Formats: sequence, C-alpha cells, structure tokens
Amino acid sequence: MTAKTKKHHYKRKDNIAGYLFLSPWIFGFMLMWLVPAAISIYYSFTDFNLLNVPSIIGLSNYKRIFTQDDTFLQALKVTFTYVLFLVPLRLAFALFVAMLLNQEHKGLGLYRTLYYVPSIIGGSIAVSIVWKQLFGNKGVVMSLLELFGIQQKMSLLGNPKTALLVIVIMGVWQFGSSMLIFLSALKQIPYSLYESAMVDGGKPWQIFTKITLPMLTPTIFFNLILQIINGFRVFTESYVITDGGPLDSTLSYVLYLYRRAFTYFDMGYSCALAWVLVAIIAVFTVILFKTQNNWVHYES
Amino acid sequence: MKKKTLALLLSMGMAVSSLAGCGGGGGSSTDTTAAGGGADATTAAQAGGGESTTAAAAGGESAAAAGEKITLKFTWWGSQSRHDYTQKILDAYTAEHPEITFEAVPAGWDGYFDKLSTEAASGSMPDIVQMDYLYISTYAKNNSLADLQGYMDDGTIDVSGIDEALLNSAKVNGKMAGLVLSTSLMTFPYNPEVLAKASLEAPKEGWTWEDFTAMCQQLKDAGVADAAVIDPAIDTNLFNYWVRQHGDKLFSDDQKSIGYQDDKLMADFIQMFKEAMDKDLVPTPDEMAQIQTLGLEAGPVVTGDGAFTQNWNNYSTLVSAANDKIKMATPPTIGAEDQKGLWMKPGMFLSIAETSPHKKEAAEFINWFLNSETANDIMMAERGTPSSSIARDYLTGSGKMASQQEDMFAYVDLAAKMAGETPAPDPTGMSEVNKAFADACNAAFYEQMSPEEAAASFRKKADEILSRNNG
Repeated sequence: MTAKTKKHHYKRKDNIAGYLFLSPWIFGFMLMWLVPAAISIYYSFTDFNLLNVPSIIGLSNYKRIFTQDDTFLQALKVTFTYVLFLVPLRLAFALFVAMLLNQEHKGLGLYRTLYYVPSIIGGSIAVSIVWKQLFGNKGVVMSLLELFGIQQKMSLLGNPKTALLVIVIMGVWQFGSSMLIFLSALKQIPYSLYESAMVDGGKPWQIFTKITLPMLTPTIFFNLILQIINGFRVFTESYVITDGGPLDSTLSYVLYLYRRAFTYFDMGYSCALAWVLVAIIAVFTVILFKTQNNWVHYES
Repeated sequence: MKKKTLALLLSMGMAVSSLAGCGGGGGSSTDTTAAGGGADATTAAQAGGGESTTAAAAGGESAAAAGEKITLKFTWWGSQSRHDYTQKILDAYTAEHPEITFEAVPAGWDGYFDKLSTEAASGSMPDIVQMDYLYISTYAKNNSLADLQGYMDDGTIDVSGIDEALLNSAKVNGKMAGLVLSTSLMTFPYNPEVLAKASLEAPKEGWTWEDFTAMCQQLKDAGVADAAVIDPAIDTNLFNYWVRQHGDKLFSDDQKSIGYQDDKLMADFIQMFKEAMDKDLVPTPDEMAQIQTLGLEAGPVVTGDGAFTQNWNNYSTLVSAANDKIKMATPPTIGAEDQKGLWMKPGMFLSIAETSPHKKEAAEFINWFLNSETANDIMMAERGTPSSSIARDYLTGSGKMASQQEDMFAYVDLAAKMAGETPAPDPTGMSEVNKAFADACNAAFYEQMSPEEAAASFRKKADEILSRNNG
C-alpha cells in the first residue's frame, strides 16, 4: 500500500463522517423544506381546496392573480409600503443604538441584553395583543394624545391612513438582531483609523461619514438583504393586531395568502401567490446585488 | 465574485424557505399549534386504526363490546363555560361507559376552522367535530364527513324528535353529513335595566326600524354609552334578514349569483346604519373592533353600558352567568309590508370524520349527547334550542330550567310568526362572500364609497366569488 492511496482512503472516511454529521440537517431540509416547496409548485398549477384531489388547471391560478385579483394588488401595495418604511427606519435605529452601546460604560452587558429582548418577544402573539390594546380605541396611546389636546375621531389602529404606521413602529422596535450585527462590525473597525482622523482634526460627524459608514457598508448590505426579506414576510402583526383591516389597509401579502389557503380553501391559488412573492423577493435581491459594486466597500 | 454568487443564492434560498411553511418565523406560533395538534391526531388515528381492524375482523363486533379501551377525539368551539360543562358531559359518559374515554379539543371560534381544514387535509380530523352551517357543505362535498344515514336508519342515533326539514339541512349531495343539534333564530337582545334609564318600555311585537332608531336616540340622550352594539357588517346574517323581510332573497336558486335585483336594497341598509353611526347610536367599525376584544360575557349590553345588540336566541343563556336580566326581542320589522324575514337556522351540527376508525362508538355518543337526560341536564340548552323534541320536552318538564332557557324556548313560538322558509345551506365560498360584504359596508362606513357604490361593488365581487365556487 503506497502512502498516496492511504491518504486518499483517510480523506474518504473523513467525508463520510462529515456527511453523517450533516445528515440531520440535510434530512430536515429535505423533509420540511425541499419536499413542501416542490409540492407547492405542483399545487400552484392545480385547483386544490385542501380537501379535494388536486386537478391540474395549467396557468389559470397565475392568470387570475395578474388579471382578476384586486386584493392581490392591495396586499402588494401594503407590503411594499411596509418594507419601504420599515427597513431604513429599523436599520438607522439599530445602528444608532449599536453606536451607543459601543462605548465603554458600566453595566453595558445588561443594556445589550435588554435592547435585544424586543427582537425575541416582538414577533409573538402576546406582544401583538398588547400593541392592539395600546393603540386601539380607548387605548393608552389614544388617551395620552387626548391629554395633550390632540383629539382624534378614530384610533390610530382604526384609521386606514395610520394603521400601517403602528405596524411599522412595532417592526422598528424589533431592531435587536441588526443591532448586534452592527455592534460586532463596529468593534472590528481598526482604532488606528479613528486615531489618525482625530490627529488630523476630524469632527465627529466627519469621522462618522468618512470612516464609520464606509467601513460598515458590507454589514449594512448584509442587514439590508436580511431585513428586506424579513419585511416581505410580515404576518403575525397584521394577523393578530388588525386582521388586515381597517379596509385592508394592513393586509400583508403573507396574511392574504394565508387567508386564501385556510379561510377560503383556495390552496392552489395560495401556492401560486407564494411563488409570485418568491419571484418578487428574488428580483429585489438580484437588483441589490447588482448595485453593491457602487456603494459597498470591501477591504482587501 | 464567486463568493457573491454564493451569497446571492443563499439569500434567495432564505426567501424561498420563508414561504415554504407559510411564513416561517412570522407565523410560527400558529403553525406550531396546528402542526402539533395534527401530529397528535395522526398518532391517535393510526393507533386506533389498528384496533378497529382487529375488531372488525372478529365478526363486525364493535370494539367497545370487546372491552377494549377507545379514545374518541372531540373538538368544538365555544366560550369557557361551554368548555367546562362539555368536559363534565364527557366525564359523565365515561362513567357510564368505562371503555370510552375522550380527548377533548376545545377552541374559540377564531381559528377553529383554520385548524380543522389542515387536520382534514392531513387525514387527522378528530372523530367527532362540531360543525357549522357555513362549512358543512364544503367538508361534505370533499368527503371529509361520514354519512350518518345508516346510523339513523338502524336507530343508533334516535332522530324521531327532529323535524324532517331541519334534519335534512345536513343533507349534502344525498349524504347525511351531520346531526343537527340545535336551532337558532335571530334576535335583538336587550338589557331592560338600561332601557329603564331612558324610561323606555320593552320593544313591542312588530316594532319597526323607525321605532328602533328612535329608541336608540332616546337612550343616547339619557346618557347611555352604546345604544345598540351591532356590527351590521360582521357577516351577512342581518342583511339576509333585511333582504328577506323585503320579500327578496340573498342568493339565486342556483347559488351562482346574488338573488335580489335592486342594489337600492343594500344601499338603504348601509345608509340606515351609517346614519346611526354618525349619530353615535351604533359603534363605528373602529369602536366595534375594541368592543369585540372584550368577549361575549364582558360586552357592553351585559355590563350595562349598552342597551341593544343583535344575536341568536341562545344569547341570554350564554351570558346568564355574567348577567341574568337580559331579555330578547324579535328584530325590527319594516311595518305593514313586512315579509317573513326570520328563519330557523340550524345552530350547529355534530359530524363524524370519514377517517375515524370508531364511527359506531362516535354515533352512539352523539345519540346520547342529543337525547339523554344526563347530557341535557348538564348542557341546559347552552348550545341553542335542542333540535330534538325529546330533549325539549324533557327540559320543559324537568322544572330545572332557568328563566333564560324558558325565554329561549318561548322565543321560538314568539318568532314563529315572523319566520319564513329555511334558506338552502350556505353556498360554497360563503366566507369569502362575507368578507366581500364586510369590505363593501366598511368602505361606506369609512366614507370611501357612497352606499350605492358599496352596494354595486358587493354585487360585482359576490357574483364573481359565487360563480367561481359553484360553477
């Protein structure tokens, strides 16, 4: 046996071990993800109401989405508005808090934990119900506004013009994960850069725009992609707080496809809606990746 | 560049994965409950499946007779008090039939049918299902519900006390998809103590919508916060009553379109409630959303902040624990030309899942649940006026009824004069029609459409939904 084949042999053994370690994940991925995803493509071409035997109807579902469905357009409008407001606000807020927490201060660990809490509990049913009570008719927020002399005919949640705003605020409040990513990126900016800037007499604002921001662009880009995808997925808030109302002003795309599937028993159509959303997110992601050469600054 | 492509692919993967589970992170809490419940049920059904095959092989004997333990899964919607007493009924049945135990799956109305549909799709529907008129045809047409005709014919389920037309309301495509358990009639419950604050008498028989509005105005002037807690847009029931009392019908006979010809009918309906909202007699959709979070038993009419509401004739029984003074009046008429607008609505059904391995035992239980003195003693007509005269006669003769139950039974006689033919079961796609109706009404209430535009938009949408679903 030559040394070469022996080495080769070891390598293969390592590979098997590696695949074995991966297998729980791969198995879960196939079962919970790949198979359902593949089946849903099939369903999207069928007339399927959850209880019947699906019958293939070709592209009819897709045709109906783009030619006959006003609610689809409304849900799309709501979701785009939501993403448009949520993502910049959440990122700005996350960066702001991350900068604050990046200083030397007593009890910083505690603050970091506290600021992360909303991200963990924020998407839960309980918090959504609290939010509903806060901003609804006769809620705390409305009473406070009244105290300051701002009389409203409708509550913020009951008004089709402002209801989505409440949902956006709740989303911004869940800034924790972006904040943590920003925080670790901030810590990796070499201190020597700041030092030389200070020696040259740079003002804090200049230092922020000329050093911190450019150095953070890869992280901003990463967070941007993550948050846009997350934003398109918004469901719990509009399901629990407003149930899409008033007048569909908070009807998120995923809530609409959920309703199609489980309230109206329109599963085939709902699957088609899901794949349209996948296409939309994919287009967005590709566009963002195309633009990154213009503004994302990678070192090295 | 290679790295970038990889990153792009990965983030795309994330986008897809977020949808595979119908909104992964976002809907996780709802998904988990549904999935968890489904998994449980599957295991139970599989375990049970084995049992029944053995029993069947042993000469068609029911598993119960063979002395085997059987667990029946029973799901229903309702309030906390319904959950509590139903559990007592199940315990009582187990005491009489030690071989039968139950796995109770109580739920609120919200989400009940969302969960049921996923269970039905995965073949793990509970053995016994409380079913509503709104959905029974959808489930029956898709063969999710067992045909009970055989059990009725062989006397396992005694239906001798049930009116035939009512019994057949569960008949879909020639199959008996459920047993009608109770009936309801629409009513306008009121709080007499609140009416007294405005020195008002109880509404008289045959009172009109004008009387109703006038009374609400007087209540408002007397300082009552919510004169009439009514959401006219919550579903099409009140509107259906309005259409019927004008001598028209909501759906055409083939259920492919709206049944009435003139959109003025709906515009007038919206206009009436819009005016009432403007005068603060009826809550706006915004105020209503908040009132609904209070639940039935803490609602304004029960607590004394409101005078009138609209509900079904088991309402005063439902809320009797919180307030035992609530009375029920017939809904307002349109005066002399009034047609018979009310109808005997099948209140709820008990159905057996087609996938259940214990259909015979489930049928025996349903019979006991409907007719037995023990069950009726505990239930006390909380699920609505019992459909079976056996149960009704027993309750009337037992002397155990509270005044609310007596009112409920008396209401059936009171309303009989105003009740016309029972309409056909709701068409497929009814929940979508209800949503379109709510959207149209609310658009008018929020002043984004005129009542006429709202009426026209409802017709357009409803026709589209009905023809798509019933074609």
